[in-house]
Amino acid sequence: MDCFCKSVRQDILRISRHSGHGHIPTCFSVVEMLAAVYSEMKHNPADTSWDERDIFILSKGHAALAHYCTLAHSGYFPVKDVYNFGAFSSIFGCHADRHRVPGVELSTGSLGHGSCVGAGIALAFKIKKSPRKVYVLIGDGESNEGTVWESLMVAAHQKLDNLTVLLDHNKSQIRCLPITRPADKFRAFDCETLEVDGHDINALKTALSAPSNGRPKVIVANTIKGCGCKTLAENMFAWHRRSPSKEEMEMLLGELK
Amino acid sequence: MRKHFKDVLIKIAEKDEKLILLLGDISVFLLKDFADRFPDRFYNIGICENTLISMAAGMSSQNLHPIVHTIAPFITERSYEQVKLDMCYNGFGGNIVSCGGSFDYAWDGATHHCYTDLELMRMLPGMEVMQPGSKKELGLLLESQYANGKPSYFRIPADEHLLDLPVEFGKANVVLHKDSAKLTVITAGPLLNNVYEACKDMNVNLLYFHTIKPLDAEVLARYSKTKMLVIHDAFGLFESVCATVDSKVKYHGIPDKFCCYYGTLEDIRRLLMLDAAGIKNIIQKELSGIK
Repeated sequence: MDCFCKSVRQDILRISRHSGHGHIPTCFSVVEMLAAVYSEMKHNPADTSWDERDIFILSKGHAALAHYCTLAHSGYFPVKDVYNFGAFSSIFGCHADRHRVPGVELSTGSLGHGSCVGAGIALAFKIKKSPRKVYVLIGDGESNEGTVWESLMVAAHQKLDNLTVLLDHNKSQIRCLPITRPADKFRAFDCETLEVDGHDINALKTALSAPSNGRPKVIVANTIKGCGCKTLAENMFAWHRRSPSKEEMEMLLGELK
Repeated sequence: MRKHFKDVLIKIAEKDEKLILLLGDISVFLLKDFADRFPDRFYNIGICENTLISMAAGMSSQNLHPIVHTIAPFITERSYEQVKLDMCYNGFGGNIVSCGGSFDYAWDGATHHCYTDLELMRMLPGMEVMQPGSKKELGLLLESQYANGKPSYFRIPADEHLLDLPVEFGKANVVLHKDSAKLTVITAGPLLNNVYEACKDMNVNLLYFHTIKPLDAEVLARYSKTKMLVIHDAFGLFESVCATVDSKVKYHGIPDKFCCYYGTLEDIRRLLMLDAAGIKNIIQKELSGIK
């Protein structure tokens, strides 16, 4: 496992244990995607309002803890600040508030908003003839929402090739409404669609830098919910919202390779 | 009224290149002049009201001034969460300019009637809510508010009142004042015509609001010793008045049932006793109960 990603996962476990909150399995499925996006996009932790920065939106807002830890390890704030995650006076809520957390561009939580707002930002960049880009991370459960498809229809029609949507295809919806053959669906919506191993940082970076061919890009990232810890991956539903006990945390930290 | 909306938009767009028009596939032919003159600022996005609002919020985040225009029930009732979260909670303003409020599309039936929009928008923190009742009010309010970065809701009415009143955002108009009046009638939007017709020879005060939020509390306070009767073909004004004054306030307007009739705006107003004769009847009953 990549050193950066291992550190992020360790912090997610420790903060979840400390705070009693956290969607650990869903956080673990997006760690490599977050690392790849923050490695590729233009951003400046010392100047969060830099007017040449690219925009990242975590549309599946319940993975906020993974986002906070990625931002912390990228230099936005010390990771120790995140330990009051979810507490009454904390700036780090279980869903992020853009007004309070440096580096967060959109407050999310209700699913199906990120790709729509992202399309508006991408169109604004086109109108301004700006080279800036927009990245939106969505979930496969989130893709049950009609607005995901509505916004991608619009983005394709408006030729928003500065918009990249990353789908965390962790198959969490197998008990409900699974998005079968997602790549076929996004291709049918006229998106430039790539399919990669969502835990392979190099493959993700290659996909992020691949040409968009005048269309919005969708990267279908095949992931494992709870990736990195065997116990989480094999019991993703039981661990969906759970915070580990001290003994469980030590066990899970030990499972991280 | 919508032609006047087009003229105002072109006037603003000529001097402000940040104004962006996003349509939900309505008024496209009407706005052809705008599209021809400002093609890179005209987007007929599609029949997708949720995405329309969210995209406007995204554009606002990049310091543009989006104006979303489509039919009232679909852009407010269907897209309520997008307005609440993407515009209001995130603090990305923008302008929603609807048509077809209340019973302006009477003939299309209950799916197209929309009397909750003003109240729904009023309940959202940070929102400005306006119901212009004339071309003058529409133009002046839009020009004064469109670029302030706040989420703002405007309704374009199908008809208009014929009174020439001073227009200032957030300020009400005292249309009729009688020193001896014990009842103050309160209304908003183009319904003022019928309300004025009913009130002009009666011993009542008449207050008119084109801005539902923020409500002009100062004018209301001046009449707080009188009983108040809100007459309005929508929700929003009554609730706003009740939240502002301690006086006893009554409401005449929308009943607690769907309107399953078609016809014209005038037909529906007559049905709901919101024509001048019906309103006069309601006010007379109210006055007879005041000692």
